[in-house]
Amino acid sequence: MSGAAPYSLRRRLVWLLTAAVAAIWLMSAWVVYQRAHHAADALLDSQLTQVAETLLAIVAGGEVEHFVKELHEHAGRNPVPIVFEIWHTNDGAMRRLVTSPGHNAFEASLPDGFSERSYQDARWRFYALQDDAAEYRVVVAQAHAARVQLAREIGLSLLIPAALALPLMALAVWWVVGRSLRPVDTVARQVSALDAQALAPLDGSIPLPSEIAPLRGALNALIRRVAEAFENERRFTADAAHELRTPLAALKVQAQVAMRAQTADSQQHALTQVIAGVDRMTHLVEQLLTLARVDPASQGSAPAPLDPANANTLAAVCAELLPQAQRQSQSLVVKAAPGCRVAVSEAWLRIALRNLIDNALRYAGEGAHIEVRLARSGSACILTVADDGPGVAPVLRAQLSARFVRGEVEAEGCGLGLSIVARIAALSNAQLDLGDGLPRADGGHGLAVSLRFNEATA
Amino acid sequence: MRILLVEDDRMLGDGLQAGLTQAGYAVDWLRDGDAAVAALSTESFAAVVLDLGLPKRDGLSVLQWLRARHDATPVLILTARDQLEDKVRGLDLGADDYVLKPFDLDEIAARLRALVRRAHGRPEPVLSLGEVELDPAARSVTRAGLAVELTPREFDLLQLLLENSGRVLTRRALEEQLYTWNDAVDSNALEVHIHHLRKKLGNELIRTVRGVGYMASAATPT
Repeated sequence: MSGAAPYSLRRRLVWLLTAAVAAIWLMSAWVVYQRAHHAADALLDSQLTQVAETLLAIVAGGEVEHFVKELHEHAGRNPVPIVFEIWHTNDGAMRRLVTSPGHNAFEASLPDGFSERSYQDARWRFYALQDDAAEYRVVVAQAHAARVQLAREIGLSLLIPAALALPLMALAVWWVVGRSLRPVDTVARQVSALDAQALAPLDGSIPLPSEIAPLRGALNALIRRVAEAFENERRFTADAAHELRTPLAALKVQAQVAMRAQTADSQQHALTQVIAGVDRMTHLVEQLLTLARVDPASQGSAPAPLDPANANTLAAVCAELLPQAQRQSQSLVVKAAPGCRVAVSEAWLRIALRNLIDNALRYAGEGAHIEVRLARSGSACILTVADDGPGVAPVLRAQLSARFVRGEVEAEGCGLGLSIVARIAALSNAQLDLGDGLPRADGGHGLAVSLRFNEATA
Repeated sequence: MRILLVEDDRMLGDGLQAGLTQAGYAVDWLRDGDAAVAALSTESFAAVVLDLGLPKRDGLSVLQWLRARHDATPVLILTARDQLEDKVRGLDLGADDYVLKPFDLDEIAARLRALVRRAHGRPEPVLSLGEVELDPAARSVTRAGLAVELTPREFDLLQLLLENSGRVLTRRALEEQLYTWNDAVDSNALEVHIHHLRKKLGNELIRTVRGVGYMASAATPT
């Protein structure tokens, strides 16, 4: 979360939820208002119709005089929301018979049925009705504002509680979100309590909601990976300490023995050991440096360009190591398929090959046969170094590429060769396999180490 | 004094064997944990120099096995691992001392002397009986203050007898403590050494217990 300013999930949720609820409420109030408006229309229209019919019945029954008198008496007391006019047809001419008290005359040319007109500077709804004989005509009217008023009251009755409820809801959301986010605090506290020196997975027994449990799962997976890498490094340091100090101790002890030797023979022996010890340290240091060089961390970019002729590399490396093989009466044979090239840099191929052959020379024993093969298999190229030495039990093969692990055979090696090869394999997308090597006279097999590279295109 | 050296590194083992032999010890050298257990179960050593990283059975496991059978042979651990927990574990499992590689040959020799001395419950470094005094560090012997020349073998035999003064040591026990597996032992070699010691230090110092062995004692002659 670097860079971007942190924001509060809680505040954001409160705002968003409150705004959403307010919008929904407003929308529903609008819909209710609309529906109320319609309902009010229907209600008041039927009221208008009823009033008109009643009035018509009254005037048709000849009780007009009495009715008008009553009307005028009540006019002051009860402001009637409906105003009306009664017309009478006499000799073909219409004239106003009665008008509701305190009102101006309507327009004369109102159509039958409902209509809306402007009247007294406002909008009014009119209803005109005529009796069958077309003798009387009744026009009733009501201010449009009454309907709007009614609809508005219904709409407001919904909005007012909402306005009161919204702050309460915001508070509730604030509280609920805070409560719901507590597990995040828990995880944060667990993570901040982690000891960088001894990484342990977060306590899985604390129940977490299913939304946050994956976070803990992912953190734990990360912690395990980091702890493993950490442990690997720690073990490497301890192993390296052992591997460096033992030959140093040997050197010092042998030198002291040589200094105090009482016979020339024993002095000679000790001095020979000192020189062998220096050679051994040199080899170890070389191997450690090579290992550091093929460390992915020090390898910023992709492997170097490909070697145009891998077979030459094979021959060159074998030629370098041939004297060593001859000293140990070992045979070293190269069998390279023509035109087979592997996708690995020249330098790395040399290092891998030298280590594989060197391992075979060291561990296969005197008089062993060693074969270096480069063969095509489908779209892959397989580089194999096989020997007919004592071999390695299948169960032990997997451990061999670990740093400082040697086979069971007694031989002077520092146990880094195969680790280096494994690194190069990983960096070149090659697959490292340990299998049965060349057959021995006693029916067993030596060891074969193979690297399965992608074939170089181009 | 016979020491068992258990070290898998060929060059270091070779050097330690030669160096400790120069320092006057009889050194048997084994290269794995199983062999060490086999040797310790049948023979006795004045001390064990034990490497921790051993093939087949690691050093701590050998140590554990040794202490489980109530064998109090002093054990000096050699290790390249300087992590505290390794050290603590080694000492907790019954190691008597702990030396980090690379080390000095003299330091190993001195620590071994101290271990053997403490194993015999002796706080002072010099062994003495009557007018005879033996200094294991200087590998020197005096009688009534005068230096006495002893061969290495005679010196070791005298040290053994003085360390166990008042106790009878059998021939077999003495031979086991004096000779490594590589030494060819004459059947009467021990008698010859005893004879020479008596000649150099007086007849009263070492008594023969017939049919059993020998004992050093300061008993005044009757």
